[in-house]
Amino acid sequence: MKRMIIAAALLAATSLNAHAAEIALWARSRTEGYVTPLVKAFNETHSDKVTLNLIPNEQFVAKLGTAIAGGTPPDLMSIDLIYVPAFARAEQLTDITAQAKALPYFDKLMASHLRLATFEAKLYGVPFSAEGSFLMYNKALFRRAGLDPDKPPQSWGELTAAAEKITALGDGNYGFYFPGNCAGCNVFTFLPAIWADGGDILSEDGQKATLNQPAVAAALAWYHDMWARKLVLPSARTDGGENWTSSPATGKVGMWPGGAFTLAALKRTAPTLDIGVTFIPGAKPGQVASFAGGDSIAIPKGSKNVKLAWEFIQWSFSPEVQVEILAKNGAVPVRTDLADNTYTAQDPRLLIAAKAMAMGRTPYSFVYNDLFNSPQGPFLRMLQKGVFDGDVSGAVRDAQTAFTQIIDTGN
Amino acid sequence: MYRQGWLGWLFVAPALLLTCVFFLWPLALVGWMSLHNWPLIGRIRWIGIANYRAMLNDPIFLQSVRFTLTYAAAITPTIFVVAMALALLANGDRRFVGLFRTLWFMPTAIGLSTASVLWVWMLNGQVGIFAAIGRALGLVETDIPYLDSGTNAMIAACSMVVWKTAGFNMVLLLVGLQSIPSELHEAARIDGAGAWQNFRHVTLPLMRRTLKLALFLSITGSLLAFDQFYIITRGGPQNGTISMVYWIYNNAFSSFRTGYAAALSLVLLAVVLLASLAQFMLFRDREDA
Repeated sequence: MKRMIIAAALLAATSLNAHAAEIALWARSRTEGYVTPLVKAFNETHSDKVTLNLIPNEQFVAKLGTAIAGGTPPDLMSIDLIYVPAFARAEQLTDITAQAKALPYFDKLMASHLRLATFEAKLYGVPFSAEGSFLMYNKALFRRAGLDPDKPPQSWGELTAAAEKITALGDGNYGFYFPGNCAGCNVFTFLPAIWADGGDILSEDGQKATLNQPAVAAALAWYHDMWARKLVLPSARTDGGENWTSSPATGKVGMWPGGAFTLAALKRTAPTLDIGVTFIPGAKPGQVASFAGGDSIAIPKGSKNVKLAWEFIQWSFSPEVQVEILAKNGAVPVRTDLADNTYTAQDPRLLIAAKAMAMGRTPYSFVYNDLFNSPQGPFLRMLQKGVFDGDVSGAVRDAQTAFTQIIDTGN
Repeated sequence: MYRQGWLGWLFVAPALLLTCVFFLWPLALVGWMSLHNWPLIGRIRWIGIANYRAMLNDPIFLQSVRFTLTYAAAITPTIFVVAMALALLANGDRRFVGLFRTLWFMPTAIGLSTASVLWVWMLNGQVGIFAAIGRALGLVETDIPYLDSGTNAMIAACSMVVWKTAGFNMVLLLVGLQSIPSELHEAARIDGAGAWQNFRHVTLPLMRRTLKLALFLSITGSLLAFDQFYIITRGGPQNGTISMVYWIYNNAFSSFRTGYAAALSLVLLAVVLLASLAQFMLFRDREDA
């Protein structure tokens, strides 16, 4: 009798669910700007509901890991694309290869996201937001220094020369700026310089460190040269990313690398600043590269409603979301066929951001955070030792050893 | 007799239960975890004492032990000297003494992480008050470069901790000071003791118990230091200020190697136990003498 009551109750509960299902989406708080309107729009147009759970950036993966380990995973998660390899390898994600490949615009989705979401020929995630890196410059300072504001630097040498002219203006003006104590920021903006020069820091499968390639030392030496010649704002050395936008906002910085989020923040805080945008250059003119950042969306193992989760994902690829929510908010659409839209027409700089993203690359690694993003990681140590201490070869040697050790421990 | 024994157990039962549920059981779990490769996501694997062996090849761990001990050795006397000076100033019936006592104690009411965030912004080169004062006095050009060397980063974090904890230690010491009967000081003065001799031979020995308590709290606190380095220096520059707890946190919640973090925690527990034992012995010897 008791059992029958329980069964009846369960039945009632499931039939209620079938009426209007509800699933939970987890995202990190940094993505609030576009995830909140997106979820709101979904709930307004669907009888099924998505509840959004925003989690502080630094705690996101730890919270997610504990939830999965505790058997209460979310039904859907938006996660920094760099973490997808680790989650896929740990068998925590639902295989969505078949559904994804059936999408008519599958080949237009951001390639770097798909590469990182692929593990042993199966797909475990699709792009949810995109962020490319590029170089911004202060057109007013270019004019004052006698540089052509419509001809931004095309190579490391040209950038250094421009920085020299801007610094020579004096009065606290500096040619170049980057947050030198922020690991993630420089992964985003310094790795492209290495890539543009034809080098890389990891092998394709992420199993080998390749920091001993000459392009790594060359890029470090380039940054160090600018630092040693005092062409860089001095606070660059200690900035952990807090002043990434506030430094250029003062109008005293000539050039600085960043992403669409930097541009959006500057438009808000320093609306009078006349900002030009170009690609991050390599050593020779014509060489360019970008980091491909952003979030992937994936369905954790144990999701209560995979069907609805996929419906939400598919809906997020529609033009009304990609253009009217993402692009309208100054973000880059994750479908390259929608990169050119009414909002990029209003601000052509965003088209450069989208183009940067489309050619963007991302290192594939199961220990990405330990290698790159951790403030204690070997990437930041290499940058600090090479650029600020000027010991380029020592920095590269240490980093190669530390990278190899971390990759080996992670296997 | 039997009845009394039974009653005794009943009285300690709540405390015993709490200790078991919230200390011994988790401790046993940590010990169990430390013998596994226990990633936050993925499969758990028994690896015996491999985590403990890995510590010997972990340069940052060895560095963090050295750093934590150095930090404890540097911060404890600093706090004591400042707190003692404040306590001596705040003891007595001078004008406004109550006001100063309150002001000096106030930072204690702020949480350590809140205080750290506060200092991050006070130390900030663009909007911080220290840089503004430095510029006004012509001492620095743009900002206080507190993160450009390990020593400067350590000084920055220590300044915050002294500011934050000196007030609390002052109150502890003040209680000790005020429990000394004034007749003893008078007697010493009549015997011809100067201010320093009075302090050295009357005040200090009679405050032994208070000092012991304050020292215990301070050393244990510094061995477990985390917030100030996590927030103010982020372990930098170039990993110069990573404390043991910071490294445990990093392994557990940034690298997701919870098994290794558990092993590190047990080592830290041993260090804290040893330090406490050493202090215990030190003070007991003096009491016997």
